[in-house]
Amino acid sequence: MEQLPQQIINGLTIGSFYALIALGYTMVYGVLKLINFAHGDLFMLGAYLGLTLIGVAIGAGMSANMLLSLVPILLAVMAIVAMVGVALERVAYRPLYRAGRLPPVVSALGASIFLQNFVMLTYGAKYRVYPKGIFPEVLWTIGGARLYLEQIIMLALACLLMAGLYLFVQRTRVGTAMRAVALDHDTARLMGIDVYRIIVLVFIIGPALGAAGGVMVGIFYGRIYFTMGWTYGLKAFTAAILGGIGNIPGAMLGGVLLGIIEALATGFVSDAWKNAIAFFILVLILILRPTGLLGERVAEKL
Amino acid sequence: MTRKLLVPLSILLVVAIVAGCKPAAKEPIKIGLQLPITGEYAYEGEGMTKCAELIAEQVNKAGGILGGRKIELVKCDDMGKPDESSKCANQLVSAGVVAVVGSYSSTCTEPASEIYNEAGILQVTPSSTATRLSQKGFKRFFRVCFLDDRQGLFAAKFMLEKLGAKKAVFLHDNSTYAKGLAEWAEKYYKEAGGESLLIDAINPEDTDFKPILTKIMELKPDAVYFTGYHPQGGLLLKQSKELGAKFKWVMGNACNNPELIEIAGLDAAKGCYVTTEPLPKDIPGEAAKKFYNDFKAKYGEPPASIWWVMTADALNVIVEAMKATNSTDPAKMAEYLHTEFKNYPGVTGTIIGFDEKGDRLGTVHRAYVITESGEFKLAE
Repeated sequence: MEQLPQQIINGLTIGSFYALIALGYTMVYGVLKLINFAHGDLFMLGAYLGLTLIGVAIGAGMSANMLLSLVPILLAVMAIVAMVGVALERVAYRPLYRAGRLPPVVSALGASIFLQNFVMLTYGAKYRVYPKGIFPEVLWTIGGARLYLEQIIMLALACLLMAGLYLFVQRTRVGTAMRAVALDHDTARLMGIDVYRIIVLVFIIGPALGAAGGVMVGIFYGRIYFTMGWTYGLKAFTAAILGGIGNIPGAMLGGVLLGIIEALATGFVSDAWKNAIAFFILVLILILRPTGLLGERVAEKL
Repeated sequence: MTRKLLVPLSILLVVAIVAGCKPAAKEPIKIGLQLPITGEYAYEGEGMTKCAELIAEQVNKAGGILGGRKIELVKCDDMGKPDESSKCANQLVSAGVVAVVGSYSSTCTEPASEIYNEAGILQVTPSSTATRLSQKGFKRFFRVCFLDDRQGLFAAKFMLEKLGAKKAVFLHDNSTYAKGLAEWAEKYYKEAGGESLLIDAINPEDTDFKPILTKIMELKPDAVYFTGYHPQGGLLLKQSKELGAKFKWVMGNACNNPELIEIAGLDAAKGCYVTTEPLPKDIPGEAAKKFYNDFKAKYGEPPASIWWVMTADALNVIVEAMKATNSTDPAKMAEYLHTEFKNYPGVTGTIIGFDEKGDRLGTVHRAYVITESGEFKLAE
């Protein structure tokens, strides 16, 4: 049992990354009822762009102030990937809205393949590694669990971004407009909301958050790869469903929960069985609550 | 009308006949190269391709074989995935290759070997060490690397005798190679009196292995033998350091390259042991030294992984078989390799020969340790 505190910290860390990426999935699904399969690859793109920019920063001799220069780098990566996200929506999804629910999904898969290969051809097929020592190595031990400064900052940043998003959606006019569009496009239009503008906004925020997650994963784990979007994306998408697809706090809860379930399953049963156990629990939860943990019961349209 | 067409048609006919009469002896010999050029193992696949290309270039520059025929490498990227591997195998068979060098991972070599066996093509794998690959009775399957049951025995003895590790954990990733090696090692370790605390598998797609590492740390082993591939090995080293693990790491021969150290960071990688075929700089013999220098001259740096050099020998073996039997018939080549092929001065040391299952004779495994300066040093 002495591994429990450490496993909880492990789970929280893994889970917060899932949660950050799950937000992008859940937001796009909320307003468009579309599963943006390319979202994981935007996260991956963020990780690679972060690598490039950090490399540039180190080359320009900024390594002494790495912590400070991380903020502009993070913002720059988020901005660039947000632009890619907007372009993605414009090119791959918008022309297909009238074609039904399936064509945009196929288009999303195509976009995903395109992004992966683009990154592979640009950066090469081998693994890339983030430079080490970006964060000073400061360590705390709580109840037998080790917690690094790096981890705390990552967790805090993830929480900050998620809280910021939540407040934005709940408390601002634009956020309310977003929730309206998620409920019903036509009625929202009748209320004077420019639906397309809101969609573009979703494709700015979602990919930006994903990209931030990508840079953080790069710094934290060190090793990035052009198919990492697929693996993380799958888990994050699962987390979004677990929490209730379309529900922002649900995505956060789902992410963290999935991370903790994985960590505990590994620690107390077996790593080989971890995915089987985690998905078994997911299925159980969905049987009991089909719309996810925090999902709303949407009234049937008569 | 017909009269007007008669002359051009007959000219066409003559040209066609003359063109079709190319002397067959000058046609290139197609040899397939099935490797993971992209994907998890791209580091190995890229280097292995370079070695094969170097050998082909050298053979062709010397005038080719079988009366001036040049070697043409037909490449296929199997991405390190078994379904792509089957696709590649079918592709290469359709392309008309007479022999194949490949693949890297046992997971990929296995399905491909079934297809090559059906098509009767000679296959030489440079690096797939899973013992069961040669237990299917395939007459034209060969490997220039050694076997994992021997590596497991070596690792078990190394951990007990040299490291004094009485309690160990075995960690693999459920792939053909890794699982096999871990099970062999655990078996021999227990037979020799060691206590196996746990045998478990990681998921290679994961990036965070702290949960399993935390669990292992709780069991307090003296050593952990990881038999998976270097992308995960690197992360395991890095994360176990972050968790403050005190046990010794021993890794198998898929973790025997510099990219392991790059991913783990030198700080975390130093002190890690690796069981493997001898590394390029330690191979005895003139041929080995020459290849080492030729590679360095062509590509600017010496070959970093033994699997790259093994690929060169895989191709050498095929070329040698063709020369000795004066043909490209896989049946004759296989017969030759099983019976008369002996003591070939390969670039991976002398190849004593192959046994009836196609395995290379004269197994040699060594243990290396990663030094403070990021080098693999012999640890015996």
